[in-house]
Amino acid sequence: MAQKGTATKGVILGILIIAGIAIPFFSGNFIIRFLTNTLMFAVLASAWNIIGGYTGYASFGNVVFLGIGAYVSAVLMEKEGVSLWLALPASGIGASLFAVLIGMPVLRLKGHYFAIATLGVAEAMKALVNNLDITEGNSGIYLPVMNLPVKEQYIFFYFMMMGVLAMTLVVTYIMLKKKLGYGLIAIREDEEAAGSLGVNTTLFKITSFALSGFFSGLAGSLYAFQQGFIKPESVFDVGITVKMIVMAVLGGIGSVMGPLLGAMSIEVISEILTNYFLVAHTLFFGAIVILAIVFTPKGIMDIISGRKKFGLNYLLQNIRDHRI
Amino acid sequence: MVILEGKNITKTFGGLTAVSKVNFALNKGEILGLIGPNGAGKTTIVNMISGTYHPTTGQVIFKGINITNYKPYKIGRIGISRTYQIVKPFPGMTVRENVSVGAMFGAQGKNLNSKQSIEKAEEILEFTGLQDMADKRADDLNVASRKRLEIAKALAMGPEVILFDEVMAGLNFVEIDNAVELIQKIRDSGVSILVIEHVMRAIKGVSDRIFVLHHGAKIADGTPDEVLNDDKVIKAYLGRRYKELVQ
Repeated sequence: MAQKGTATKGVILGILIIAGIAIPFFSGNFIIRFLTNTLMFAVLASAWNIIGGYTGYASFGNVVFLGIGAYVSAVLMEKEGVSLWLALPASGIGASLFAVLIGMPVLRLKGHYFAIATLGVAEAMKALVNNLDITEGNSGIYLPVMNLPVKEQYIFFYFMMMGVLAMTLVVTYIMLKKKLGYGLIAIREDEEAAGSLGVNTTLFKITSFALSGFFSGLAGSLYAFQQGFIKPESVFDVGITVKMIVMAVLGGIGSVMGPLLGAMSIEVISEILTNYFLVAHTLFFGAIVILAIVFTPKGIMDIISGRKKFGLNYLLQNIRDHRI
Repeated sequence: MVILEGKNITKTFGGLTAVSKVNFALNKGEILGLIGPNGAGKTTIVNMISGTYHPTTGQVIFKGINITNYKPYKIGRIGISRTYQIVKPFPGMTVRENVSVGAMFGAQGKNLNSKQSIEKAEEILEFTGLQDMADKRADDLNVASRKRLEIAKALAMGPEVILFDEVMAGLNFVEIDNAVELIQKIRDSGVSILVIEHVMRAIKGVSDRIFVLHHGAKIADGTPDEVLNDDKVIKAYLGRRYKELVQ
């Protein structure tokens, strides 16, 4: 079973990588832009997976890291004339420092309380950025324009975002083989028991939150530079948090590739629906998400790896297990 | 030689005194039993040693160091492991992974990387007789195996002292005998042990010394024979018919 699962995963991964590298050279700008956006959500969902999936702390404010990454880059590049190659890591580090600062009080909370507190942090940050001089308040801030033809710009951002995604996935994969991963999962499964086994739970939770923030911050930096103009409403939008959580859950939380699959399926589905049903697409989209969660509450990954059945039996089993 | 010592420890929750001025000492290589009726404060004592609670007054001394206000993870790392009365496995992990976590972060954890920790976990699984269940998920185990897993996790940390909080509750006679045998085997490997237990047959056979709690206060301390024939203990805990039953 496990063997078959690993092989399937390997094949899927190989196809994804080859397709991912080849596609931009055969596609138009629209497709490349769409895929860059999908990759960004894959990064956000995978980063959310570190704190929400592996550590078991469902953050409802992870968009704050995207926003901080975006604004760190915007301010550094526009006001200080820093290049992207410095602004990008600075954004990641800035977002993870914020995660450390905010994590120290907030990670003491659990479950719903943690979710609400993180939601509050993101909203408060939006209000703060809206009123600061350095961020140019609610009028938004422009970023320098790139000196490249449009098509090449699109390809550049596509591969940059892909690089960030690859880094997120590789770091997550390595983390799982190390003590950090075992410690985080132990915290998710039973925090008190993890503590008495010698896991420094506070340090581990903050590390996990900081990693999650780091990758989201990198995504924010690239997003801001590609957009060329950002506003607090768009980069601190709570809807983005909801989207990354739905993607992670649909793809399979607590698995490395799950959030990537979730992001791809959700983006493709919502794009197709928008094309066919301009007005009612959110209705259909909602229905699909509900059906998906009911039939595969552990995510697409669970079906692919062959661990669980699919269909009516699985639905009934889930109703028993989760009391839907 | 005393390895773990409680000096005058008291714990109050609001107006309730759960543990009142209790002194105890665990000698190196010894098995010390702790008995008492429900609500006597036994688990509270374990929680104070392991750092889950901090005593209101009094001190916990481990190898001459005052560890009274240490956090739980730090206490685990200096060499005191514990088990939970209501078992706390990591349900989504396999048995091997559960035990590995203990090996990774316990007293010996600093010297082991994740791969070596898993190897250490294999040894512990063999020692505790769980090797056949290594790949099962922890929530697929039965009660006896779950209790054994608690022991294995604590042992994998490489501790000098283990606090066993009712690891035999809910087991049948054969399983109790196996658990007693395992506890003795652990002592023989050089670990000092504090055992909390309601099962008289087990505690009598396994303990070198026993101390008895009643309403948070210590009412007796001595060898099993002394303690179990003590009038106060019989009145508070064992019941008047106990003497007739054992004779």
